[in-house]
Amino acid sequence: MASPRLTIAIFLAKSASMASRIIGNKGETISGRILLSLEPEAISLLAQKKQVILISGTNGKTSTTRAIAAIVRQLGEVSTSGSGSNLSWGAAHALMSKAPYAVLEIDELHLPTVIAQTDPAVVLLLNLTRDQLHRMHEVKRVSDRWHVECTEASNTVFVADIDDPFINYAVVNATNVVRVSFGGRPHPDGAVCPRCGSYLKWKSGNYSCTCGLTNKISDRKFKKGSAAMRNAILANVVGEVLDAKPMKFKESELERTISKAFGDKTAHFRLTKNPASWTEALQADIKQDVILVLNARQVDGIDTSWLWDLSFAPLKGKRIIVCGERGLDMAYRLHVEGIESTVVDTFDQAIVLTKNKEVSVLSAYTAFFELVM
Amino acid sequence: MLEIIRIHNELLGTYGDRGNADVLKFRAGLRGIKAKVTDISYTDALPKEGDIYLLGGAEDAAQILSLNALKKGMTLNKAADKGAVLLAICAGFQIVGSSYVTRDGQITGLGLLDVATNPGDKRLVGDIAIESEFFDVPLTGFENHSGVTTLGTDVMPFGAVLSGNGNGINGVDGAISGNVFGTYLHGPILARNPEFADLLLERAMGIQIPHVTDEIADHYAKWRRTVIK
Repeated sequence: MASPRLTIAIFLAKSASMASRIIGNKGETISGRILLSLEPEAISLLAQKKQVILISGTNGKTSTTRAIAAIVRQLGEVSTSGSGSNLSWGAAHALMSKAPYAVLEIDELHLPTVIAQTDPAVVLLLNLTRDQLHRMHEVKRVSDRWHVECTEASNTVFVADIDDPFINYAVVNATNVVRVSFGGRPHPDGAVCPRCGSYLKWKSGNYSCTCGLTNKISDRKFKKGSAAMRNAILANVVGEVLDAKPMKFKESELERTISKAFGDKTAHFRLTKNPASWTEALQADIKQDVILVLNARQVDGIDTSWLWDLSFAPLKGKRIIVCGERGLDMAYRLHVEGIESTVVDTFDQAIVLTKNKEVSVLSAYTAFFELVM
Repeated sequence: MLEIIRIHNELLGTYGDRGNADVLKFRAGLRGIKAKVTDISYTDALPKEGDIYLLGGAEDAAQILSLNALKKGMTLNKAADKGAVLLAICAGFQIVGSSYVTRDGQITGLGLLDVATNPGDKRLVGDIAIESEFFDVPLTGFENHSGVTTLGTDVMPFGAVLSGNGNGINGVDGAISGNVFGTYLHGPILARNPEFADLLLERAMGIQIPHVTDEIADHYAKWRRTVIK
């Protein structure tokens, strides 16, 4: 039986959510905030009666959370985070539901707290690369925090993609771990062993350190594949831990790609928000006409230095139109790599300048949501 | 051929500073000056004959690895003594200083700049603008560090802070001594401030180089000076 305080807090939070939805918002943030301000322990209290599954990592959180929610739905009703709503109030909102399963996407910096609060059944750790450094500061700082909490959480099963040394280090002392490897892949920030600080030895995407940290010893081994394929497999490994049947996913279901018509043009949007997601996107099929949208708000990362940490060579020879609040940062970056582009202010101006019917759009986080959601 | 040496980018490459080498090569190319960027990894020997050496920002463990590698043979010190140009950003700036402090205690740096870095009580993150006597316009960048760097008597500050924090003390950023430049500005600094790239090219060539107009570079630099928060 919930405490009267929690019951009242839920009632008020749900009312606020309804009011917020009436005026056209998603209603998740407000209800979660109200709930937590009236009952700061709400997350722990609500999580007690549920099987909680958490998903975190730099890239792929939202789509993998969606896949896991679909898998777990085979077992019973699931409440899940709204798209990208991954801070504590997003979790609080999702946990208000009566569903026996909660599948929640959690921001990297919030993960340790939410693990401590919810005592989750399973936590999936996808990857850690540089992102929003104004907030994360350093990749190692995030993995250190994960390491401490993963070591503590002895009831939880961690599903970890250990091809990423930061993930391997996070779970290295955890009690229950399913270590998954896809045969290795290079890591853009993985020159130093996150566990002992030595120069990490890499060979064909596999690493081994003198301290013993390596991706060569795993519990489950799969073939190499795209980020989307890896995330589909990881989602099913989480399902397996919960005794759910595996599901098949199309690669496109696990990419942040959405096609949308603009007049007679079809724009194929893909979310690109840091060097790792850009590199992944640039390896995929890109149309002859390409629009790049760059913003630098808080969730995009307020600094654009990272544009210089990846090569845009796959865009050579294409018609490039750049827009967004930091379009000029992008245009100059491309210019120095020998790629010329046209700079306009808005996406509407950009789409008019494309010549072909099919257009690729590689978009920053905030712009992606504004343009396609 | 202008030899640009990008040092330990896999270690000192957390913050886009690798772009400084690309901009130098590009702006040399605009003037018909041939330039080559050589990436030297942690396991490589540092070439003695570089014209411009570049160090970037890093996380703590990477910083100490890089410093220890640079201490072997002291090639960078020898090159700097002979007048080579050195640009050291953030963790790189701390590496070339006299000392800096980590969780494990004080570390002796390369001593190319008479500066000492101590841990500050808060992280200094955000846009930064500085005014330097070398340039008619402010330089802009982005800083993200928690070091407080105090200058000794053998160096001059690189610039006075107009907005942001820089060294975190005395309202200045960076330090210079001869052709050795240290600063906290990421951006990359040479992408956001083409004037500085040109100054380094001139120092490395030892001659005045012709002015060139690269419209987008100038437009970008000017615009970024207007959006400092």
